[in-house]
Amino acid sequence: MAHVESSDVKETRMRVAGIEVPVSIVPRLAKEGYRGRFSTGLRGLLSGMRLTLGYFFGPVITQQYPENRKTLKFPERYRAILKLKFVPMKEAITSWDFKRRDEGLPKVDAHTLRTWLRGYEEVKYHKCTGCGNCEKACPNGSIKVITRYGEITEDRELDRFIWRMDSCMFCNACVQACPHDALEMGPEFENAVYDRRLLIYNLNTQAGAAARFVVEEEAEMRRKMMAPREVCGGPIPLNGHYLPRVEPLQVVPLLDGPAPENAVAEVAL
Amino acid sequence: MQTLIPTLLSACVSAGWTVQTNADRATAALAASNTWGAAWSILVSLLVVALLVTLLGLGLIYLERKIAALFQSRLGPMRVGPYGLLQTVMDTIKLLLKEDIVPDKADKVLHLLAPAIALTTPVVVLGLLPYGPLAQLADVNIGILFISAISGFGVLGVLLGGWSSNNKWSLIGAMRAGAQIISYELSATLALLVVVMFAGTLSLSGIVESQAEGWWVWRAPLVGLVAFLIHLIASTAEINRLPFDIPEGESELAAGFHTEYSGMRFSFFFLAEFVNMFTVAALTTTLFLGGWMPFHVGEWARFNEVMDHIPPLVWFSFKTGFIVFVIMWVRWTFPRLRVDQLMHFEWKFLLPVGFANLVAASVVALGNWYFYPVA
Ligand code: SF4
Ligand code: SF4
Repeated sequence: MAHVESSDVKETRMRVAGIEVPVSIVPRLAKEGYRGRFSTGLRGLLSGMRLTLGYFFGPVITQQYPENRKTLKFPERYRAILKLKFVPMKEAITSWDFKRRDEGLPKVDAHTLRTWLRGYEEVKYHKCTGCGNCEKACPNGSIKVITRYGEITEDRELDRFIWRMDSCMFCNACVQACPHDALEMGPEFENAVYDRRLLIYNLNTQAGAAARFVVEEEAEMRRKMMAPREVCGGPIPLNGHYLPRVEPLQVVPLLDGPAPENAVAEVAL
Repeated sequence: MQTLIPTLLSACVSAGWTVQTNADRATAALAASNTWGAAWSILVSLLVVALLVTLLGLGLIYLERKIAALFQSRLGPMRVGPYGLLQTVMDTIKLLLKEDIVPDKADKVLHLLAPAIALTTPVVVLGLLPYGPLAQLADVNIGILFISAISGFGVLGVLLGGWSSNNKWSLIGAMRAGAQIISYELSATLALLVVVMFAGTLSLSGIVESQAEGWWVWRAPLVGLVAFLIHLIASTAEINRLPFDIPEGESELAAGFHTEYSGMRFSFFFLAEFVNMFTVAALTTTLFLGGWMPFHVGEWARFNEVMDHIPPLVWFSFKTGFIVFVIMWVRWTFPRLRVDQLMHFEWKFLLPVGFANLVAASVVALGNWYFYPVA
């Protein structure tokens, strides 16, 4: 291909409609003769062949997916799910871990059992302040940040970070918009479900202030500042829209503790 | 045992053979009034061709998919059998089980005949190629002429298929194939003529034997290389492979001439394409790369002796495999040409170069200006 060297481009200023504007003057492309076209064409084809031969002997990118689930490698830029960044801390087991429900014996799953045996549990504190920038940045309205008034911090706190995967296009705008580095995109891609309501995620596991305010406090205080939230416990409809033929999920608090009534109240129509 | 191994080894060497084809064997048997021997030779020939077509179909399609995948940093078929080796077998079964759809307004007879013709011609060529000094089914004394005539005939299948399908895409594809083969057959033949002139014979075995001192691609200074390249390009165009696959350009013509074909009839066209690729590679090997002849370098007696110990069949497969790889490499690198570009390339570039090369080659042949000239 004929191309223009940057040294051939002249930078000047020109008066256009009474205003002086900077102008770049690019020379016309010289038409190549038969020989020139032949040699550039041949060179192009040969360099193409060299490139594909490089691919031929280069590494294979394809992975044998279902077999290698344990050892899957993801490219860094791969985006499959939106996540809040967490600051994990080991917390002593609190009373609400044991009293799960009033009805009958507590259901003990492997995770709970492990927690009991270890004597502590890992609590993930989010870094979100509930500023709502991500919500504004999202072109699809896929994010709803529900905030609450924190009794202890006497300030706005995150209550539920609701993310609708079904309308998200993974553009990364929310991650870039967050001023507190609270969001990230993860590679966990097996997200298919049978019920589209389950595509509405509640990303935070704890309601409360951002991690940088919480982690400095005493353990007792930390417990008071936070309240657990479930992954799919988000209130539906969202942003004032109903999904056709989809009933709202019942918001049932799995654990005792402050009931998330305020959250429901905020989005009620 | 002590004598057996050297005997076996010497049976494997590539030098000092007298060519004996299967047809020769049958004739000899008939002359000795051994009818069964002759029948046996003919049966073996038929079986070899049938086996070759099957193996080439399965093997080349598998290879094409694997190599295409590697050129694109993929893995290709991996699921059926180890490394996907059984994939083409399963595909064949699938094609066999598929419904055979014939369009309502199609010309039924021609529609059936077309794939058969398309597959027949490369199969005929398979019977004439010299795979080794003892492994050739028949050596026709006008071999080269016969092969170029027959392979031009193959486009009849494509033309008939496109015509009889009663479909616009098919017809346009078929007409393009016709125009393409008329154009590129010229260049291919001009390149063949160069070798015929050097070797002084039309017989394929004769041409292979004329390259005992060195392959024509490098022994004739420059003209051999040019003829080799022209032949490779023109025959890639003749077998309708990318970058010259305008008769079935998916982006313009659905599937081109085989749009209306399904099941086994389609697979005949498909198979013909791959057998054609092999015959083109084998022919190029025979003409320019010395066929089953080992690689010899002038006076390096030691080196030549080592090369002689590689059996002819291995030499042939290796060279043909290399050409097949190059054809696939080109396919997965180059973009498809437009119709006018295709014609432009042939009539305004390839053909003049071919003629000039032929003239230059005749001068070289007259002056006997080869490397390692034989008196
Ligand atoms: S990735 Fe884009 S579409 Fe998805 S939630 Fe973030 S901003 Fe919205
Ligand atoms: S995730 Fe970031 S941008 Fe969104 S509300 Fe929280 S702090 Fe603000």
